[in-house]
Amino acid sequence: MTEVLCTVSTKAILLGNEAIARGIVEAGCLVACAYPGTPSSEILPAVAKFADEMGSPMAVEWGVNEKVAFEMAAAASFTGSRSCAVMKQVGLNVAADPFMSSALYDLKGGFLLVVADDPGPHSSQTEQDSRHFAMFAKIPCFDPSSASEAKEMVFDAFDLSERFHVTAMLRPSVRVDHCRQDVELGEILPFKGEVKFEKDPSRWVCLPAKVRVNHPKLNAKLEEIRAAFETEFRKYNYEVPAKKESVLGIVASGVSFSIVSDILKSLGREDVAVLKIGTPHPLPVKMVTDFIEKHPRVLFLEETYPVMEMQIPDRTKIMGRWNGVVPGAGELLPEVVAGILADILGIESPSGADSMLKDTLEELGITPRKPMLCPGCPHRASFFSIRQALPNAVNPSDIGCYSLGVNQKAVDAIIDMGGSVTMGSGLTLAHKVAGIDRPVVSTIGDSTFFHMGIPGLVSAVYNRHPFVLAILDNSTTAMTGGQANPGVGEKLRKGDEGRKVDIEGVCRGCGVSHVRTVAAYDVAAGKEAIKEAWESAKEKKEPAVVIFRHPCMLLRLQQPVIPVRVDPEKCIGCKFCINFFNCPGLVFNEESGKAYIDERFCVSCGVCLSVCPHGAIVEVSEEGE
Amino acid sequence: MQYVIVGIGGQGILFTSRILGKIAVERGEQVMGSEVHGMAQRGGSVISHFKVGNYRSPLVMAGDADILLAFDQNEGIRNLHFLKKNGSMVVNVHSEDDMKNSSLTAFLKDRSIRVYSLAGYELLKKHMGGNFLFLNVLLMGAMCGANISGLTFEEVSRAVKELSPSKFEDANMKVFRLGYDSISSGQ
Repeated sequence: MTEVLCTVSTKAILLGNEAIARGIVEAGCLVACAYPGTPSSEILPAVAKFADEMGSPMAVEWGVNEKVAFEMAAAASFTGSRSCAVMKQVGLNVAADPFMSSALYDLKGGFLLVVADDPGPHSSQTEQDSRHFAMFAKIPCFDPSSASEAKEMVFDAFDLSERFHVTAMLRPSVRVDHCRQDVELGEILPFKGEVKFEKDPSRWVCLPAKVRVNHPKLNAKLEEIRAAFETEFRKYNYEVPAKKESVLGIVASGVSFSIVSDILKSLGREDVAVLKIGTPHPLPVKMVTDFIEKHPRVLFLEETYPVMEMQIPDRTKIMGRWNGVVPGAGELLPEVVAGILADILGIESPSGADSMLKDTLEELGITPRKPMLCPGCPHRASFFSIRQALPNAVNPSDIGCYSLGVNQKAVDAIIDMGGSVTMGSGLTLAHKVAGIDRPVVSTIGDSTFFHMGIPGLVSAVYNRHPFVLAILDNSTTAMTGGQANPGVGEKLRKGDEGRKVDIEGVCRGCGVSHVRTVAAYDVAAGKEAIKEAWESAKEKKEPAVVIFRHPCMLLRLQQPVIPVRVDPEKCIGCKFCINFFNCPGLVFNEESGKAYIDERFCVSCGVCLSVCPHGAIVEVSEEGE
Repeated sequence: MQYVIVGIGGQGILFTSRILGKIAVERGEQVMGSEVHGMAQRGGSVISHFKVGNYRSPLVMAGDADILLAFDQNEGIRNLHFLKKNGSMVVNVHSEDDMKNSSLTAFLKDRSIRVYSLAGYELLKKHMGGNFLFLNVLLMGAMCGANISGLTFEEVSRAVKELSPSKFEDANMKVFRLGYDSISSGQ
């Protein structure tokens, strides 16, 4: 993790996620667990860093997936410890089972659930609103509008959880997670309770009879919390009144409040009032309906679903998502909010794309750059081998950097974490029923394999599904910034020792008999291994595993430097290398009709030497060049 | 003061807002910024927002930025709409010809946008053995040399020095000076 602190007295500039982490440590949390996922990934490493610096005794650990992390943290709270679980929005889908059932419990220690949402989305497969999940589970939710507020909410969420014995959710959105702001620092609050698990099956065993008692109890708690949100939390729920007679009222939560505040200020509007809501569930309905009554029209701004809006019984005066004033999808960027305001207030809309600038982009052919695997990325070599070995194969893949294998036409379908393995099974079954003989080669990363790949693999062995599973092991959780995982064995806190879990051993233990490991950079060996695995899978009627291994480039390990160039005499301009290798360092010059090496990006990994079918990519000889 | 910093994932953009943040906090000013992490970092277009002063939102609205710091020429041009009238762009140029495009020059003139360009890759090839990871400090130097941010050579170079990993400290100081001189001497 990077050195982020630059402290002046008690203030530091922190990333929103670091501010949340600091709050978790200061609040005296004793057990913190997570699985990394953008935009939440930086929280847990920062918890470990602050805990080390401040001498907290707390445990800080990656769970192998969000369900594991959630259950570890929830059980810790059964002992009276303050605990927290951290994940991204789709991570809560994975942890939905323990989330829903523990919501009904009379918890003991404060239990904080931090779920980071990704409106946009920027790095996710959905833009779901976790506040809805809070509503679904009937638990309270805090929606911070800034990094400093997110930190403060951590304390209140722990307090609220202990006061009402419920799970408390903090829902930062990506703009809060990844904002950078000066934040006040404090010390660790002393822990006053006692850590002790007291046997009480009526409290800790989720039998149906208990649910019939707990559900009405939770409903009552929710109303008490709502009453508290109406009166006690004025630092999060408050009105910024209009200075003149108001023409519009705005109810805003999260970062939408921050954005609309800056816009109103720059417009100099003194006839618009804003009601800020930091606790969207349970909504302080009276506070909001009183505000609605005072204003001729009321606009609701919140991300990404109409969670506050839906809790208002009479929406006639509301302009929001129900009547299409606010777009039903996408991030509420400043330009979007300014456009909505301009329409409502009848003022000039902020200038759209300038026509001269539009012409420039068209004339120069400038488009946004799509994400690509890094230069030298071992996955690029693996995808090339897989695609070339069995060009007719169907290639399900998974969540992680390797979803970018789609650029190499080596990824055909992705659903979610671990889905590559189970899609391998599903496709194989459909082919079998229809009598189709077509290979299926799935790809999954090391961390994702541990996360949710293993149950699918066991199922495939049990049901005898012949397909190939390629595990792309780069010894890190790369897409989210390089977190350790069981295959690495490292842990977060200084002095904590983990134990490395062997992927080959896990596969064999699941019952796979054909397990081969190849160096990802060795394209010839990779191709051979995939062909051999497919033959073995068909013959034995069971999944076969090929592990492609090479460390992630972000780990910046030393490796041989093999400078290359494109021989323009041999390059025929077929674009095979562009279409199937797709490296930022290997680009096509439309004018000359030839490929060339872009030295700004090339890291001289040398893999592309085995890519060109015409032998046009050659090693730079020491004397000649 | 509102900055928009653009480039391609992997160019070291995040370091720039850390430098700006450190300076602002030492001056006792409030800061607010927004960064890109995750998938978009993998070689795609990235954008950081950074605001110094009394703001609530971490995002700069189109037409409001004072300074556009472009690690990549194409990304700079693509994000010019963020600049306000009379704003400034500091840009790492790889094609002088593209910068002469008539629609572009008309747009820049219409908005009175000042452009400070430097051939970052050439400079780093010539002076730093082609290590392009120094681009961030080079551009900070250039911005400082352009004298548009209200930040002095001393305070920016001190912040760069203090935030540099020790093994890159001397090289970063050299690159900072290189960027500074490449713009300030050209004026």
